[in-house]
Amino acid sequence: MSAAALAALLARSAEGDAGAFHEFYNLTSAKLFGIILRILPERPEAEDVLQEVYVTVWRKAATFDPARASPITWVATIARNRAIDRLRARPVGRHAPVEDAHDLADDGPAPDAGLAHSQDVARLNAALALLEPRHAAAIRACYFEGATYDELAAREGVPVGTLKSWVRRGLIRMRGQLQEDAA
Amino acid sequence: MSLPPDNGLAGLTELEAQAMDHALGAGNRAERKAAELRLLSDPAFRAAVERWQALLSPLDDATPAEAPPPAVWQAIAAEVAPVVRAAPAAAPPAGFWNNLALWRVLGLGGTALAALAAALLVLPAAPPPAPPAANAGPSLVATLADSEGRPLLAAAFDAASGEVRFAPVAAPEGGAGKVPELWVIEGKNPPRSLGVIDISAGSAHAIPRARLAGLKPGAVLAISIEPAGGSPTGAPTGPVIATGALSAA
Repeated sequence: MSAAALAALLARSAEGDAGAFHEFYNLTSAKLFGIILRILPERPEAEDVLQEVYVTVWRKAATFDPARASPITWVATIARNRAIDRLRARPVGRHAPVEDAHDLADDGPAPDAGLAHSQDVARLNAALALLEPRHAAAIRACYFEGATYDELAAREGVPVGTLKSWVRRGLIRMRGQLQEDAA
Repeated sequence: MSLPPDNGLAGLTELEAQAMDHALGAGNRAERKAAELRLLSDPAFRAAVERWQALLSPLDDATPAEAPPPAVWQAIAAEVAPVVRAAPAAAPPAGFWNNLALWRVLGLGGTALAALAAALLVLPAAPPPAPPAANAGPSLVATLADSEGRPLLAAAFDAASGEVRFAPVAAPEGGAGKVPELWVIEGKNPPRSLGVIDISAGSAHAIPRARLAGLKPGAVLAISIEPAGGSPTGAPTGPVIATGALSAA
């Protein structure tokens, strides 16, 4: 499923075409549910957030701009943000325990490989692999699990400022590496 | 932000740091709210966040996909199916306030749209059309949503009449002795009060033209809960219950 085809389904959804929206859901919901589950492992809560996300996507379909983002990045970002907001809304101290940062290599290919850009994943993983392991692990823990700088700093036993500079420096190096690859 | 110069972060702007934090999702609740507000009012920030999101998005492919149970789609379908979004054949121009396409732009559907139609019925008769001011700006609309993204209120600014009107979508949380106050945030300027408003169900509200001069798409409307009579300081003092960016109608 190409980005153009997903964008076309979104455009038809914006016109009120519920059939197109159902097709869009069928093509993207497993990916979004996976993203949400990693942040909110309790399934009823994750299902609730998934439902909210698609109602939002339906309502905002007309605002999707293919010049600004790919359709899958757009909806995945909505899903991550909703899941993280739900996590943050919990009373302090009731956060789910954060598992150790995942090794991306263990995940294997995404089942919906039709949506994957395996080359991009490989390049991003290569760029992450060049970082200090603790810095890369912090980036992964934020992105995949919704961990905060505060939580990670406590886990690593370093000041928050140190943790922030690990992550920010890591992201800047990753970006530099990706730009070099592209050059 | 005073970081040592040798840590690889020299030259990192505050905007860029906040953008990467937000794209990564690492902020706490307050930081995320601040970033969301900035997303609405600062296009450069929004562009920076979108660049980081695009850079990080291949990571999503490393997360195992998992098919949700069928009940999820059924619940979604129940919310989206009744929405009639096709614009009706344009009868004689119905006027700005009851232009269905306008409210459709606001993203309101289903029962919200029905409630809105009811609200529109009780609007006072439109004033006699004033001759359009020579430099009347565009008519503007905004959907004000709470922090969870649920639409709370639709606002529409009619440049021709110079009025802002509201149609409530959901009942905002108030409190005894508290009143909602409307603010506009233009660029990085501090919030400017548009006055205490009445957003109870079925009512509409007009704001003096002088306060609305120069409103442009991209400005953000926000509603905070203030003591009776409005904020005593001239800046929001109570919780912000809803925000939404103005766009051209």
